[in-house]
Amino acid sequence: MQTKSYLILCVVITVVWALTLLLVPAVSDTVEQLMIGFLSTYAR
Amino acid sequence: MLRIVLQVIGIVVLIGVVTIVTLKIDNMSADGPSILFPGGELITGELHSGPDPDWRFTDDIAVIDLQLDNPMSSRRIFVMESDGKVYVPSGYMRSFLGRLWKDWAFQVAEGDGLAVARINGIRYERQLIRIIEGEDIDGIARKLAKKYSGGAPDAVANTIKSINDGDTWIFEMAPREGATDAN
Repeated sequence: MQTKSYLILCVVITVVWALTLLLVPAVSDTVEQLMIGFLSTYAR
Repeated sequence: MLRIVLQVIGIVVLIGVVTIVTLKIDNMSADGPSILFPGGELITGELHSGPDPDWRFTDDIAVIDLQLDNPMSSRRIFVMESDGKVYVPSGYMRSFLGRLWKDWAFQVAEGDGLAVARINGIRYERQLIRIIEGEDIDGIARKLAKKYSGGAPDAVANTIKSINDGDTWIFEMAPREGATDAN
C-alpha cells in the first residue's frame, strides 16, 4: 500500500474506532473487559 | 512483504493507542469510573452522615467506586469487611504493569489518603490507611480470599503471602480524622 493511502486508512480507522468506542457502550465495555483480563493475567 | 507486515503492525498499535486514549479521555470527567479506566469526582449519591454502618453488607457487593481527593480521580475496586472494618485491596503492586494500573495506591501511600467510597449509591467520606502488618492481616486475607478466590486453604495462604510480600496492598477505609459522627 502506498504511503498516502496508508495514512488515509490510519485516519479513517482512528475516527471510526474512536467514535465506535464513544457511541456504542457495549463495544467499549467488551474492550475494557478484555483489557482487564489481559492485565490480570500479565501484570503478575 | 516487509512493508505490509510493518503496516499491519502499525495499524494494530494504532488501534491500541486510540482505544486507550479515547477511553481515558472519555472517562476523565465522568461521575465515577468505567470498568477499567479512572473517572472523575463522585457526584451522585447521598452523602452518608451519622454512625458507620455494619460493613458486612459489603459481603454482597463485588466492587465499589473509590475516589481520591488528591488527585481527584475514581476507580472501581474490590471491597471486603473484616472484624467490623472495611478494606480495599490493590494487587500486582510489584510488577511493571501493576505500577501503571494501580498508580492510585502509590498516590494514597504518598498523599493524605482522603477518599470517598460510593457503595450502593451512597457516598462515604473516608481516609485510606495502608495496613502493612498486624493481627488484622490474617482476617483481611481470609476474607479477600474467600470473597474473590473461593476461600480454599491455598488461596488464603497465597493471599497472606501476597500481602506480606508487598504484591497486594491493603488499605483500611477508616473514618476521616476529626469526624465526630462515625463510630
